[in-house]
Amino acid sequence: MKLDRLQRELRKLDPGITASEKDGCVLLEGEVDDYATIYAAGKLAVDKERYLGVLNDIALRGFTQEVVLPDVEDDLLEGTTCDVLVIGGGVTGCAIARELRRHQLDVLLVEKGPDVASGQSSRNGGVVHVGVNFSKGSQKLSYCVRGNAMYRKLSHDLHVPYENKGQVTFARTKAEMLALEYVHRTALDKGVVGTKVMSLEELREIEPSVPDWSVGGLFMGTAGITNPHLMTIALAENAVQNGARVCLDTAVLDMTVEDGLITAVKTNRGTIHPKAVVNAAGVYADVIAQMADDRTFTIHPRVGTNIVMDKKVGGLVRTSMGKTPFTLTPSQLEDIPDNPLSFIKATIASAKSHTKGIALIHTVDGNMLVGPHAEETPDREDTSTDRTAVERIFKNQQEVQPDLSEADIIAYFTGVRSPTYEEDFVVRPGVRTRNVFEAAGIQSPGLTAAPAIAVDIARWVRTYLSETNDVQVNEAFDPVRHAAPVLAELSLEERAALIKENPDYGTIVCRCEAISKGEILDALRSPLPVYTVDAVKRRVRPGMGRCQGAFCLPSVMRIIADEAGIPYEDVVKGSARSRIVFGPK
Amino acid sequence: MNDSYDVMVIGGGPAGLAAAIAAHEGGAAVLIVEREAQLGGILKQCVHDGFGLERYGEALTGPEYAARDANRVNELGIDVATGTYVLDAERSDGTCTLTLTNADGIWRVTIKTLVLATGCRERTARQVLIHGDRPSGVFTAGCAQNLVNLQGMLPAHRVAILGSGDIGLIMARRLTLEGAEVVGVFEAKPQPSGLPRNIAQCLDDFYIPLHLSTTVTRTLGKDRLEAVEVCAVDDQMRPIAGTERLVECDTLLLSVGLIPENELAERLGVPLSPLTHGPIVDQHLQTEVDGIFAAGNCLFVNDLVDYVSEQGRRAGAEAARVALHGQNRMLAQVRVGAGVASCIPQRVDREADLSEVTFFLRSAETYRKVEVMFVDKGEVLQKRRLVAVRPSEAVRLTVDLNEMGDDVWVSMAGGTSILKGRDHV
Repeated sequence: MKLDRLQRELRKLDPGITASEKDGCVLLEGEVDDYATIYAAGKLAVDKERYLGVLNDIALRGFTQEVVLPDVEDDLLEGTTCDVLVIGGGVTGCAIARELRRHQLDVLLVEKGPDVASGQSSRNGGVVHVGVNFSKGSQKLSYCVRGNAMYRKLSHDLHVPYENKGQVTFARTKAEMLALEYVHRTALDKGVVGTKVMSLEELREIEPSVPDWSVGGLFMGTAGITNPHLMTIALAENAVQNGARVCLDTAVLDMTVEDGLITAVKTNRGTIHPKAVVNAAGVYADVIAQMADDRTFTIHPRVGTNIVMDKKVGGLVRTSMGKTPFTLTPSQLEDIPDNPLSFIKATIASAKSHTKGIALIHTVDGNMLVGPHAEETPDREDTSTDRTAVERIFKNQQEVQPDLSEADIIAYFTGVRSPTYEEDFVVRPGVRTRNVFEAAGIQSPGLTAAPAIAVDIARWVRTYLSETNDVQVNEAFDPVRHAAPVLAELSLEERAALIKENPDYGTIVCRCEAISKGEILDALRSPLPVYTVDAVKRRVRPGMGRCQGAFCLPSVMRIIADEAGIPYEDVVKGSARSRIVFGPK
Repeated sequence: MNDSYDVMVIGGGPAGLAAAIAAHEGGAAVLIVEREAQLGGILKQCVHDGFGLERYGEALTGPEYAARDANRVNELGIDVATGTYVLDAERSDGTCTLTLTNADGIWRVTIKTLVLATGCRERTARQVLIHGDRPSGVFTAGCAQNLVNLQGMLPAHRVAILGSGDIGLIMARRLTLEGAEVVGVFEAKPQPSGLPRNIAQCLDDFYIPLHLSTTVTRTLGKDRLEAVEVCAVDDQMRPIAGTERLVECDTLLLSVGLIPENELAERLGVPLSPLTHGPIVDQHLQTEVDGIFAAGNCLFVNDLVDYVSEQGRRAGAEAARVALHGQNRMLAQVRVGAGVASCIPQRVDREADLSEVTFFLRSAETYRKVEVMFVDKGEVLQKRRLVAVRPSEAVRLTVDLNEMGDDVWVSMAGGTSILKGRDHV
């Protein structure tokens, strides 16, 4: 809408909010008392026809973002030059770093956290989406469809588990079935293949857990499941194996931009001078874009919590399954007054809730995930979980799968998504700054889209650098990750042969997940070794099981200390400050 | 390790050791499979004393108690596979085949009878619905006990403890003695869960406050724990809004209950009791699956190791007898009536002599002057009068049930419920 009309609308929200145009974007300013107003204003300002994006700078009174910075200050990177600096070690950044190494480019990836996949890349459900629910012409749709098509081969090359069991969206009413029929008919047009509208009976052949109150639904055959943190780690390891550098505990603090070019990037470990910069900074992507003088969007953090169920009940769902966004559960129906208007209102509210519907997901590890929900929050780093949210998610899904029991919950975790107000990815070369490339606004289906985003970003970076440099193909690039053996995948004979070679494969350290000492040592000797308890847990799973590490923690710490050559008390959980013990007693 | 044995015992803790010794003495060829490098189970890290008062009439430390049985196992020449993990177990008529792994390779061992002595694990923070951040410094009490007693490390400076289970109480004392400050023990229930002697010796003697009807609801801290939020709870143990307060601490220990480890039992199709979370067993501790026995904390979370050993002996002796001579069981039901929270055995084999059937019971509440009754079709077969019972202390009773018919009810009647201050019927 036009600026003066937007201004009028905004005043209704809060008289202190002003709107203006800046660099082709709409800029919102002011200070308000509640976050809902900021979010509502941002939404209101979206106008993709008129503006590049919304710059929502409305401050929340009494809130300042507490940025968790690494507890490291050195000059490891002082004066470092590189062809490409990738900011952010999530799945997008790691995929880009790997893709860039298909050419002879000096690639450096920096990550603020103590490990790659420290943010939303390790805190999501792992669904490889098909894309039917994204609108035509959106980047989400095109990257999702392209990325989906790449997943099987990529997972195989990187030795990351991938299961193509499909996804099920079920409906409660005939009207919802018509909506799904429409989704199915438009799917091909969107480039999505393999969808089918099914009756309840047909659907149950594929997914026996579809509830009784469903009448049928949509099956999406190209949907899959990956292990999100393992995928990210595998991309990073393969990038390193192919010559990329990864520097953890490294936060970008500032940039020098001169004549439309970034010339220096200041970090806590020294100043880097890259020829090109890729912004894959997740929840901080707009902050980084601002430093690069290339901001056309605002990230508004949106949290989602998933509940992890014991493998014992992993079989309660076979695929990933959820209701349509419009579908009200029986208890929601009971809660609304018995008139058509209330029903429509409730349906719209349900459809607007910005998650592809809380789902049940059968993970590649055999657990079941329940979730996630979606909630707007001002805090980009608050991954805490909340009792009300978890109870609500669980109660809601018990209507879908009545066999869900709280006794089988082993963990829950929260991720912070990084959407823009336009609710689309911002994958593009810089608009003002010529040597920055944005991979921003990446939320779901970012995990699916990452390999496709990486292809485009790498091409643009290459084209840009070719203007001044001779960029050669890297003939030595090996897309296959040299993965360590995963004992659970091996036959008994193969296992016995491995133990003969290395007895550590016969020493089980984690009883719940049956992880051997050999596998833990492999993780610590990988191309990207990270000597923390969390890093070992994410790579080879000790501590992921039902005891949550109560039995194996002391032994895992011993193995890490011995391998890293550090005192036992210096072994940390994740960040440098997350000490586990304070020293000998 | 051979290809076949009469009896395999899984778990080399007190229950497994006792079972192996009894099975060996019964003439069976026995193999003990233990995951860790040494025998003794969790007793290895229980350096405090008080073990063996019933069995030996003396107060031993955990390692001393375990060593007596472990030494006996060695003297008898019983086969032991330490550092060995059960990968798989399958059952076909009359035998079980287990797939084991250790540093020497993969082993398949066929046996006639199996004693599960797999112990229990601790409930975790997430299982008691603690929310908030996920910093370091949140441990189960047993994990902290391992860090202190086996690794020689101090995991805490300022500690809050959630749950008044025995391990938590023991750790409150242990950490105090190591120089840490225990700021309080928080228990959601209106009465403590641990043994009264541990409340006295571990908390009262060290002036450590015990906050009943209070729970921990959130953990705060991005890296290391900085504080916990505690909250009063109502009689349904739900947090009461508005009663939240922050307690600064760098460590939270959880002593919020033990879960019998029965993943292997479940894989073998052994039915579990919803009350004990362990296998349903007869008076010889044989599960409903012929040839599979259970003993110790995987069967029934015991308060005293003496009872664990007793269960091990009973299961081991019968496992040997069944392996060598076969059996023909006819199972009758033991039903749990009023006042009883859980009980083993839940079945009795009517083919056997029933003049001495030993029960372990846990009461639902704290009662004074209560009668434990064994009733069949309205007829009281046996009754025992007890001065006081509380949920934190299991009751051990041996009764004659030769007169019973198809089933028997066990209940607690006639006492006074201390908690609710009213008569219990």
